[in-house]
Amino acid sequence: MAQIIALVIFVAMFVLIVTDKIERHYVTLGCGLLTLILVFGVCMRDPAAIMNTLNVKPIFTLDFWYAPHAEGEESGGINWATIIFIAGMMIMVEGMARAGFFRWLCMKLAKLVHYKTIPVFVTFMLMSFVLAMFIDSITVILFLASVTIELSRLLKFDPVPMILSEVFCANLGGSATMCGDPPNIIIGTSLGYSFFDFILNTGAMAVIALVFTLIYFYLVFRKQYSTPSENIDISALPSPESCITDKKGFALSTVIFLIAVVMLVTHSMTHLTVAFIGVFVSLATVLANTRHLGYIMKRVDYKTLLFFIGLFVVVGGLEQTGVLETVAGFIGKISGGNSKLMIAIIIWGSAVASAFIDNIPFAATMIPVIKTLAVSSGVPLDTLAWALSMGTDIGGSGTPIGASANVVGTSAAAKAGHPIGWGEYCSKAAPATVIVLAVCTAYIFVVYL
Amino acid sequence: MQFIISIGREYGSGGHEIGRHLAERLGVDFCDRNMLDRIAEEKDTSAENLRKYDETPKRFLLSRTVRGFSNSPEEIIARMQFEYLEKKAKSGESFIVVGRCAESVLKDCEGLISLFITGDEDAKIDRVAEHRSMTRDQAKMAILRHDKKRKAYHNYYCEGKWGDSRNYELTINSSKLGIMGTVDILEQYIRLRTQ
Repeated sequence: MAQIIALVIFVAMFVLIVTDKIERHYVTLGCGLLTLILVFGVCMRDPAAIMNTLNVKPIFTLDFWYAPHAEGEESGGINWATIIFIAGMMIMVEGMARAGFFRWLCMKLAKLVHYKTIPVFVTFMLMSFVLAMFIDSITVILFLASVTIELSRLLKFDPVPMILSEVFCANLGGSATMCGDPPNIIIGTSLGYSFFDFILNTGAMAVIALVFTLIYFYLVFRKQYSTPSENIDISALPSPESCITDKKGFALSTVIFLIAVVMLVTHSMTHLTVAFIGVFVSLATVLANTRHLGYIMKRVDYKTLLFFIGLFVVVGGLEQTGVLETVAGFIGKISGGNSKLMIAIIIWGSAVASAFIDNIPFAATMIPVIKTLAVSSGVPLDTLAWALSMGTDIGGSGTPIGASANVVGTSAAAKAGHPIGWGEYCSKAAPATVIVLAVCTAYIFVVYL
Repeated sequence: MQFIISIGREYGSGGHEIGRHLAERLGVDFCDRNMLDRIAEEKDTSAENLRKYDETPKRFLLSRTVRGFSNSPEEIIARMQFEYLEKKAKSGESFIVVGRCAESVLKDCEGLISLFITGDEDAKIDRVAEHRSMTRDQAKMAILRHDKKRKAYHNYYCEGKWGDSRNYELTINSSKLGIMGTVDILEQYIRLRTQ
């Protein structure tokens, strides 16, 4: 009975998220509450399951902040490390945005390539990839798309191909690191992987895929950008320096960002957890912006944090009632013990699912599944984790609703008078998604199996 | 004195034509899909890109909202038009606008006169069949399709329901007096209201 109710709540949550009629944080929080009351309270009568799912106790242990022996979250439920880390990064990013960092960076790079369309196109794709490795893709695209639109008006080019390519590269960049995309943070903190583990595995795949992506988008869009625009007054373009709204804040936020990158890259050596890094960068940003604290805190996306909390509870319900073990058993059965088929199912199945539904709940749900699969099938958990990571991160690139960056990018384009329909989006992004997934599948088959 | 006339209409009722005649007689600007040409000009883009999403209901399951950013082109174009109307109303200019949820978007404007034009089914079918060179059956289907679309579009953005007489100052059946007769009576009404 508990299994059925947990499953019904989970399916209802997914349907409500997909229909987009109620804000998604209300959906997950409501469904999370129902899970606690109906599944754990009424059906299981198990207070321990509620405590396990709320998962508050570990926050008060040293291992949560400093972990010399990284093992990942022992129990399921709310992944507080992910939530604290994301909250910290959000605060840091808002500090950078307030000082004008992102706009300055975009304008600086555009100036460095002399505002020439094709070099701007390639540079912005690369910048999108690199920034998304460390910063959430929504913020990256918010700034990049807005600068692209501004430049397109002044330099007279169509911003749509550039925005589509930037969005794709942001998703690809996000897949390269542990902190780039929420599914990776959840996978990393749940399974005890470090930033370095991701760089060496998903990062390697993402860099190879980036080469294919650059070639693909260049070939697809080169004609649109090959005719140089005439009568362009470069002096009308804003100088990079004019984008900086607060010089002191700019310098401090840049330093904090660099420290965050160093802390992330070295956290497997320093043993500082991502939760610690999140708290550190947020405190540093708060101290550096005491006068603008209200502005920054107001802009933090609390809704996403609440969404995560509710989501983890609902997935915890599935985990505690054993539904996910059944799913793992099913995948194991249809793959017949063939590890290549199992990997293919995980990477391509995750990709197809992520193209149409939110990849965050999908990844959170699949983690217990791959844990069970690793035990039952003997395929190393790492391999399954990288397949899940690339599938969920890249699959979302295929459609306008597959990933948050796609939504923000297409929204910015439409607001500027360039609406992008499903046909246009998918005809350009879906082939690139298939190419990247094929590259990742081949890489996993060759390197890990 | 500023006045703004919003005209909601059933497909085939002649609401658009009535609006155009009223605008000519009253000497005011007439806003319909031409709003998109003006918006496109402001945004330095092609109106062609925007037209296919004009007065089109949002397609559920095919769009998402992230941090308040919706990527539904239908919704974004609709909101652009609402903003355009609000800006125009604030400028103090008198004008007539057809559709685009104007009776709801501009409900706080003092000079708003909201009208809804309906029509007898047979008269609407005849009109659509003649104007679109269709058979009566095709015209009937077109009316059903267009009205369904307008209703879905309107009811997504507005609290009041499309065509519900309680939402409009005046609801009139254009089949009774014909298009020009309806224009005459509405012109008199507007002149009295704006005296």
